[in-house]
Amino acid sequence: MLKEFVEKKHCNFIEEAADWQDAIRKCCQPLVADGTVTENYAEEIIACVNLYGPYMVLMPGVAMPHSQQCGDNVRGTAISFMKTEKPVFFDENDPAMYANLFFTLASDNPEKHLDNMQQLSVILSSEDLIAELMQVTNEEELLALAVRSGL
Amino acid sequence: MVSILACCANGSGTSLMMAMTLEKVIKTQGYKVDRTNHCSISEGKQIAGNYDIVLCPLNFVSMFSAAADNGAKVIGLRNVMSQNEMTEKLENCGIDLRS
Repeated sequence: MLKEFVEKKHCNFIEEAADWQDAIRKCCQPLVADGTVTENYAEEIIACVNLYGPYMVLMPGVAMPHSQQCGDNVRGTAISFMKTEKPVFFDENDPAMYANLFFTLASDNPEKHLDNMQQLSVILSSEDLIAELMQVTNEEELLALAVRSGL
Repeated sequence: MVSILACCANGSGTSLMMAMTLEKVIKTQGYKVDRTNHCSISEGKQIAGNYDIVLCPLNFVSMFSAAADNGAKVIGLRNVMSQNEMTEKLENCGIDLRS
């Protein structure tokens, strides 16, 4: 999956985001670029967070932005990776609700999505791998990690 | 036998990850669970009463107050990938998962 992020250009690396809304728009950009989602997908995700809170922060440091499966703004099934050097905070009252690693989900195919999620869960279940992803700053380093980890 | 529902806003992201973590926990601990499911909050609110335990992100707990009033154990998780957190909270929820 890490290799696929690079090969499909489903990854981006940024210094920082102005706020979490800005981060959501930026993490969707690789998926917008190849037509996997429309530009409105980011706004859909932002609306979800406004409605339900920052539940997309799976654990301190890691967010998994996503909206409705098979929704109007989704044209394909993929996961895109974004790394920010500075943490993005989602809740000013809860310092644990931050992310540097963003795994943005899009799905118009539940079967393929399930396969993607199983691969993602392998990555997110490994504290070592998350620590290594925190150190990655560009595509070359991500590819090197992909080769090293076999993922 | 116990039934467990994993729930988030959309039903295809966070709740799916929770369901995957749950499968691992059930296997590792040997829990006797006969039914698991994952779904969105809108569906979850309707069907939560049919489950013994509802798992959700921490900030969703209050949305399941009706299910909790009806006897379901609602468990909020800070880290939905953490088998340790899920195991600990399941162990302490007051439902016997081993018989």
